[in-house]
Amino acid sequence: MSDAAPSDRSLQILNTVLLVLAGCVVMVPTLWMVASSFKQSFEVTAYPPTIIFTPTLDNYVALSETTPFLHYAFNSMIVTMASTALGLILGAPAAFVASWTRITWPAIVTLVARMAPGTLFLLPWYVMFRQVDMIGSYWSLILTHAVITMPIVIWVLIPFFDNIPRSVYEAAQVDGCSPARVFWRIALPLVTAGLAVSAILAFVFSWNYFLFALVLSNSDTKTLIAASFNFIGEGSTNWGALMAAATLIALPPLILAVIVQRWLISGLTLGAVKG
Amino acid sequence: MASISMRSLVKTYGDFTVIPGLDLEIADHEFVVLVGPSGCGKSTLLRVLAGLERINGGDLYIGDDRVNDVPAARRDIAMVFQDYALYPHMTVRQNMAFALEMRGMDKAEIETRVKRAAGLLHIEDFLDRRPKALSGGQRQRVAMGRAIVRDPRVFLFDEPLSNLDAKLRAQVRAEIKALSQQLRTTMVFVTHDQVEAMTMADRIVIMKSGIIQQVGSPEDVYERPANLFVAGFIGSPAMNVLPVTVAGDRLVLSNARSVQIASLGSKRPAALIEGATVDLGIRPEHFEVAPDDPNAIAVTVDLVEPLGSDTLIHFKLAEINAIARVSPDLRPKPGDSLSLSPVPGKIHLFERETGEVIR
Repeated sequence: MSDAAPSDRSLQILNTVLLVLAGCVVMVPTLWMVASSFKQSFEVTAYPPTIIFTPTLDNYVALSETTPFLHYAFNSMIVTMASTALGLILGAPAAFVASWTRITWPAIVTLVARMAPGTLFLLPWYVMFRQVDMIGSYWSLILTHAVITMPIVIWVLIPFFDNIPRSVYEAAQVDGCSPARVFWRIALPLVTAGLAVSAILAFVFSWNYFLFALVLSNSDTKTLIAASFNFIGEGSTNWGALMAAATLIALPPLILAVIVQRWLISGLTLGAVKG
Repeated sequence: MASISMRSLVKTYGDFTVIPGLDLEIADHEFVVLVGPSGCGKSTLLRVLAGLERINGGDLYIGDDRVNDVPAARRDIAMVFQDYALYPHMTVRQNMAFALEMRGMDKAEIETRVKRAAGLLHIEDFLDRRPKALSGGQRQRVAMGRAIVRDPRVFLFDEPLSNLDAKLRAQVRAEIKALSQQLRTTMVFVTHDQVEAMTMADRIVIMKSGIIQQVGSPEDVYERPANLFVAGFIGSPAMNVLPVTVAGDRLVLSNARSVQIASLGSKRPAALIEGATVDLGIRPEHFEVAPDDPNAIAVTVDLVEPLGSDTLIHFKLAEINAIARVSPDLRPKPGDSLSLSPVPGKIHLFERETGEVIR
């Protein structure tokens, strides 16, 4: 028998119902995608949809035979990792300065840039990169994806830096640290959890970003997400292969999303001050 | 080790002036306590000394160096923060060694200094622990160790005892005092606790609204307060302040002229003219029970607070609340009558308008 009061119990029930609903909204399309990738082509678009089916790896075989999947995966990895690293290198000091000086408007500018539709930047970038003959290079993708990763890093890290007691920074200054050293020796080691979270989020957003890769890459530098567009034809679409590609593309972010849970709980600043 | 000189020092935040122009000289090896109520500017002054705040006017010297524009990192001062501000990702040893590493000191020398300071503060057993594994008192010692190990020109303490419980506070207070005598380094200590100020300082600086009210030895500020603010701030319970009128060589309560509260005796200040109204200050401990004195004031006891070492008697003098500290042997009850008279030579007179002492 539960000790909870009736109002607590109804709240718990409401909680559970909402969680199940939210879970359905998130999980049904994902499960649909995974299930479709193991179906025959005609079953993918069958109506009513087939729930019970004989799983097949045909779509995965077709994917590996018809597209240089590993090459695209390599491209995605290069672009994503480099743009994440660039986002961290530029974003972490920026977040530290925004937190230290309590001047957040530059960070807001980066957020606005992140929130603006990508198409806004696409044409100027295309013109710029064409003029310097960088269309189709990894760098054009890495630099444009940094516009996605850097604001994420900044906005994830600002509260982590804010959380460090100011007196710890001041103690470091009194101990002989320049602001750069305060950042490197004191602040950065104290936000490792934030760095991990921001890196993983930046990775996921860059990995999944479609538009810039579609326009700025070529067949050699195309990323997985842009390459998956190949399965959508004007006359017919290979839904099974597309679902297989989508499933494989979704795997790294999904794995990282599971890992991020472990990092979210940050107790590193415990003991810095009284208490 | 160095002296400190503040000359017409001004600190503002936008339009708000925290320190409007302060002059203070602190001698080499001196232990000075800045004391005052919250918002009086004492912590701001300490942060200015540390280089954590820029000054907006005047000059600041540490030793012979004008340090107005010298950053904290290059002032060679050590500071113990109110919340200790230990580096949570470092062990105690690393916390203490950090400042020395920043100065590029030899590793063997760092180890020697850390061990020496740890021995001095009895924290040798915690050297490999992180701050979160320490109690409040232990963290406080580590914070002091981090300062000591540097052998700085000046030590700054920003209310370092305020997070400790009463027993530990008294213990650490004594330890800091002993340490100051051992290290012979210039120390500036900020507190709002007048007991800390009185027990530790060579000199006390009492501040209000960014202005120094009095600078003097603990005895000075207690025995000879410069104004009503100092008189009320130093001493616990606070000094009793009663409006009195000068009538011949007597002081009578302004609102009850039949009550003579004290006699001026032969040392009547020249500034006191007949009929003038002034504030009379009497510390609770400067009342004595005088049943046989015909001039004693008869009071009715309102409240009795036995403290063990002595007893506080609350009473009213013509509707003004007052307190007397008497021997613990005396155990009156509320409603009892008591004859009290001020200890001769222990009364203080202040101007009504300015609050300045009349001497």
